[in-house]
Amino acid sequence: MTGRKGKTSSKKKNAGSNSKKNEVDVDDRLQAVVLTDSFESRFMPLTAKKPRCLLPLANVPLIEYTLEFLATAGVDEVYLSCSSHANQINNYIENSKWNSPWSPFRITTIMSPEARSVGDVMRDLDNRGIITGDFLLVSGDIVTNMDFNKMLAVHKKVHSLDKDHIATMCLSEATQYCTTRTFDPAAFVLEKNNNRCIYYQDLPSINSKEKTAVQIDPELLENVDEFVLRNDLIDCRIDICTPHVPPIFQENFDYQTLRTDFVKGVISSDILGKHIYAYITDEYVSRVESWQSYNTISQDYVGRWCYPLVLDSNMQSDQTYSYESRHIYKEEHVVLAQSCKIGRNTVIGSGSKIGEGTTIENSIIGRNCQIGEGIKIKDCYIWENTIIGDNSTLEHSIIASGAKLGEKVILNDGCIIGFNVIIDDDMIIPKGTKISDTPVKNLQASIFEIESDEEQEDAVNEVNNDSELALSLVGSNGHGYIYDSDITEDEDDSSNAYKISNTLTHQLEEFYLSDASISSTRKRSKKKRSMSSNSVYTDREDVGSDFDDEDENEDFEEEGVATVERALENNHDLDTALLELNTLRMSMNVTYHEVRMVTVKALLKRVYHFIATQTLGPKDATVKVFSQWGLFFKRQAFDEDEFIDLMDIVMDEIIEQGIAKPDVVLFSVLNTLYDLDVLEEDIIYKWWDNGSESSKYDEIKTLTAKWVDWLRTADEESSSDENADEE
Amino acid sequence: MSSKVVGTSSFNHTQEINIIINSFVAKLKRRQIEGSYLIALETLQLLKRFISASRWNHVNELIEQVRELGALLEKSYPTAFCCGNVIRRILAMLRDEVEEEVRESSNINTDNLVQSAEPLISSMFNLFQKPETATHEVYHTKTKTKTDFRQVVIQAIKDLIDEITNIDDGIQQIAIDLIHDHEILLTPTPESKTVLKFLIRARERANRTFTVLVTEGFPNNTQNAHEFAKKLAEHDIETIIIPDSAVFALMSRVGKVIIGTKAVFVNGGSIVSSSGVSSVCECAREFKTPVFAVSGLYKLSPLYPFNVEKFVEFGGSQRVLPKMDPRHRLDTINQITDYIPPENIDIYITNIGGFAPSFIYRIAWDNYKQIDVHLDSKAQ
Repeated sequence: MTGRKGKTSSKKKNAGSNSKKNEVDVDDRLQAVVLTDSFESRFMPLTAKKPRCLLPLANVPLIEYTLEFLATAGVDEVYLSCSSHANQINNYIENSKWNSPWSPFRITTIMSPEARSVGDVMRDLDNRGIITGDFLLVSGDIVTNMDFNKMLAVHKKVHSLDKDHIATMCLSEATQYCTTRTFDPAAFVLEKNNNRCIYYQDLPSINSKEKTAVQIDPELLENVDEFVLRNDLIDCRIDICTPHVPPIFQENFDYQTLRTDFVKGVISSDILGKHIYAYITDEYVSRVESWQSYNTISQDYVGRWCYPLVLDSNMQSDQTYSYESRHIYKEEHVVLAQSCKIGRNTVIGSGSKIGEGTTIENSIIGRNCQIGEGIKIKDCYIWENTIIGDNSTLEHSIIASGAKLGEKVILNDGCIIGFNVIIDDDMIIPKGTKISDTPVKNLQASIFEIESDEEQEDAVNEVNNDSELALSLVGSNGHGYIYDSDITEDEDDSSNAYKISNTLTHQLEEFYLSDASISSTRKRSKKKRSMSSNSVYTDREDVGSDFDDEDENEDFEEEGVATVERALENNHDLDTALLELNTLRMSMNVTYHEVRMVTVKALLKRVYHFIATQTLGPKDATVKVFSQWGLFFKRQAFDEDEFIDLMDIVMDEIIEQGIAKPDVVLFSVLNTLYDLDVLEEDIIYKWWDNGSESSKYDEIKTLTAKWVDWLRTADEESSSDENADEE
Repeated sequence: MSSKVVGTSSFNHTQEINIIINSFVAKLKRRQIEGSYLIALETLQLLKRFISASRWNHVNELIEQVRELGALLEKSYPTAFCCGNVIRRILAMLRDEVEEEVRESSNINTDNLVQSAEPLISSMFNLFQKPETATHEVYHTKTKTKTDFRQVVIQAIKDLIDEITNIDDGIQQIAIDLIHDHEILLTPTPESKTVLKFLIRARERANRTFTVLVTEGFPNNTQNAHEFAKKLAEHDIETIIIPDSAVFALMSRVGKVIIGTKAVFVNGGSIVSSSGVSSVCECAREFKTPVFAVSGLYKLSPLYPFNVEKFVEFGGSQRVLPKMDPRHRLDTINQITDYIPPENIDIYITNIGGFAPSFIYRIAWDNYKQIDVHLDSKAQ
C-alpha cells in the first residue's frame, strides 16, 4: 500500500531479522518453490505475449492466488522459478506488495531461461543449493483455500514414522463430473491405511477412445495389506518435498515431469527405496491449466467457493470491490447507464463504462473497459482496456486486454480474442476461433516444450500460410491473425486432450466419464505413448544402458558423434536424441559448444555418406538431413553468439570433412536452417560481416555470399521461390 | 486511492510502524483474525504503537492521522465494525481532551476568551478572520501541550483495553437479576463468548437451574454450537441442541431469547454473527417472547444501517453444498451474519447497564463524535 517509503532501512531490518532467524532455527523456516512456467502451450496464443501466471483471473494475475496461498500457509521464503517471459514476471514481482518490507515472506526470482521441464528447474535448484529443509513445491497457477497447516502436520507425522518418506502430494477428491478432472487424468494406487502412494500412472484423456489398463509390478504390492486404486483424485500440484528430492532429479537427469517421471520413477524403483505419500483434501484446490479450467475456476471464484479468498476482500491494495447479492462485485468508479442490466455472477472493474440497454450476465469485466449500448454479454471474460462497439453480442468468449470490437460484432461460443486485436463492424466470428494480433510463430517452439518434431514443422508451415491478416474474420479495418493449433494435431493421439483444454466450451456431454472403465483388466503389451514426455520415459532404459556400458572418461566427441549417428540411423525422435546428448553433456561436463560441434559433425558425416554413395546430390542430401535434424540446434544454441558459433562450426566442419562441392553444402545448410527459423537474418548478417577473411574459406563462401546478398535485398515472403531461381 | 492518503500523512512515521500497519491490514484481509473481541484488542494495540511512533505539530494533525488509520482498517474488513468503533472512541476522547484544554487556557487569559475558544472548535474559518491573534494563540497552546496528548491518548487506549477485557463482569452483574429458576432460554448465537459467560455466571453465582436451547446454526455454526453446548453441560446446565427449523415449534415454551451481537447501530438494530437469528427474533416477536441482546459497549457503532446489504457478510458457498456438480451449477449464497431490526429486540444488556433499543442513540453520542462517523473524509 505504501510502497516506496524508506525501503532501505526496512530491508536492513529484514535482513537482520532473517540472519538472526538463520542462526536460531534453520529447520523451522518453510521454503516454497513456485513453478511459474508449466512448460505447456495450452494458453496460446495469449501466452505468446504474457506468461500464464500473469494472465488475469477475475481481474487479478494468476500468480497472486498462489502467493496468497503461500502467505496464509505461513511460508518464510519463496523462490519463483521463471523461464518463459522471465523478465515480465520479475518486473511484476519487484513492483508488487510481495517485495515490500511488510511482505509475509522473502521472495526471490530465479531466472532459468534454459529450463524446458520441471526436471530442469529442480536440477537448477539443486545446483544453486538454495534448499535447506523441507520445502513446498507448487505450480504458479493454483487457486485454493486449503488449510496448509493440516497438510504440513500430516507430512511431519508421516515423516516421523517413515524415514524413507521424501514427499507428500496433495490430492483433492473430485466428483464424478468435475470439469477440472477431465484434464491430466491419472490413477493413483494408495496403501489404504496410510495413503502411501504405491503406483502412479497417467491415464489417456477421458474422451479418447484408447482403453487402458493399470499395470502394477507385483513386487510393489509386497508387504501391502490393503490398497485402493483411485482415479477420482485431482492432482493439485502442491507437494511438500524433503531436501532429498532435488538430488534425485540431479541423479536421474532424464526426469522431466514431476508425476510421470519423478513420482513413478521413485516409487517403482527398489534401489532408491523412497516413499511418497498422498494427502487427500476435500477443500477447494484447482489449477488453471486450460481454458476450460479457467472458465470453471473463474465461476467458482465469483460464486465464493474459495472463501475466504474472495474478490471483495480486496487483496490487491488498489482494489475496491464491494459485494452485492447474487454475486455481483463492483469496484468504485464504475459507470452504469440507467437502463443496463447487470445479472448474476458479474464482476466489473473500476473505470469501466456500461452503455444503455446492455445486459451482462455471468461475466467478468476488467478495468477501464468501454462497453457500448445494446450489447449482450453472457459468460464472457473481458480483460482490461477493451472497447466493445454498440449492439454486439458476445457469448462465452475471452477478450484479452486492449482488444477493440466494432459495432454489431457477434462472437460465438469459445472465441479467444488476443491482445490488441481489432475487429471491424458487423463481423461474425465462428465458434472456437482464436485470434492474436501478431502471427504466433515459432515463439511457441522457443518458449514451450514441443510435443513432437513433426508438429513443429507443421507450425513452421503454418506461419508461412497464415502470416497474412485474417481479413475475412476481422474485417477490412481489423487487425488480427488466426491462431490455429488444433488442425496440425488432429492425427496425433494427444490431440483429443489438447482440444478439450483448448476450448472454452463445455464439452461435458461428450465425455464418457464412467468410473467403471478403469476396473477393466485388459492386458496390453505396451501402452502406446503419445506425449513427448512419455516417450522420453520409455526410452530411458536404452539411454541408460548405452550410457552405462561406456567408459565415462572416453572422449565426448566420439561419444557424441556416435550418439547422433545412432539417432540418425534408427530414426529416433528429436526429443530422444536431444535427451541422449544432454545426458552425455551433463555426465562429461562439457559446454553446448561441444554439443553443437558433435551434432554438426555427425550430420555432415551423413551428408558426406549420401554424396559419397551417390544416393543424393550435394544439395538434396544436405537439405534432407538438415531439414529433418536441423531443429537440434534450436535447443543447443540460445543466443546470438551461440548461433554465430554454430555457423562457424558448420563452415569449419565442411572444410575439414572435405565434402564435394563445399560451397553448395554450406549454402544449403544455412538456407535450410534459415527456413526452419533456427537462424535469423540479423544473426546471419552479423556472422557474415564479422566472418573470418581467411583464404581457406574463400572457395566455400562464394555461393553463400550471393545468398546473403539476396537475403538482404529480397522480400521475406518470396524467399522459397527465388531460392529455386538462383539454383 | 487509499494508498495515497496514508502515503502523505504517515510520511514522518518510521518505517517500523508502516510494516506493522500493513501486516495487520493483510491479516484482516485474509480473515486471519476472527472475532470482534480479538480484532478490537489488536486494533488498540496497533493504535498504541501508532500513537507512540507518530509525529505531529498540531493536535489536529494527530486526529487526522488516527482518522486515516481508522479509514484504512475499516476498508480492509468492512464488516468488522469494532475496528472502527474503538478508533472512534479514542478519537472522541482525544477531542474531549482538546476541548477541555481550550477551555482551561481560555479561562486563564480571559481577554481572549472569545477569540481563543472559537478557533479551536472551528479553527479553519477563524484562520482567515483573525490571523494574528487567533493562530498565534492556538499554536502556542498546542506546542505547550504537545507531549501531554500522547500520554492522554495512550492512557485512553489502556483504559479502553481494560474496559474490553473486563466487559463480561459488567454484563454478568445484570445476569443474575434476569434469569429465573426453571426458565427455558433459547440462544441462537452459540459462538458468542459473552452469552456463554453470561449463562455460566447465572448458574454459578445465583445458583439458578434453567434449561438452554441452542440452535445448531447449520452450516456455519454447527461446530460452535456443539462446543457451546458441551461447555454449558460441563457447568451443570441442562442444554439441548435443536435444529434451526424447530425454533417456531419450541418458541411457545421459551421464556427468553438471548443473543450475542457483533455490532449495534445507532437505530438500535444490530448485526449478529450467525445467519438465521433474524428469523428467530421474528419468531420471538410473534410469541411475545422477550429478546435480550448481550453486547459490550465497544460493539456499539455510530453508523446507521441505511443499506443493510453492505453491513451483512457473505461467506463461502462450499459450506452450503460441499462439492458441486458443475452440470447443475447453482448460485449458492451463504450469509454468515444477520441483521436484526430494532423492533425485534427488547433490551440491550451492556457492561454499563440495560437499555432499550430506542435509547441506544444516546449512548452512541455519549461515546462518539458526530464528526468521526465517516472516517474517510473523501467518502463523505
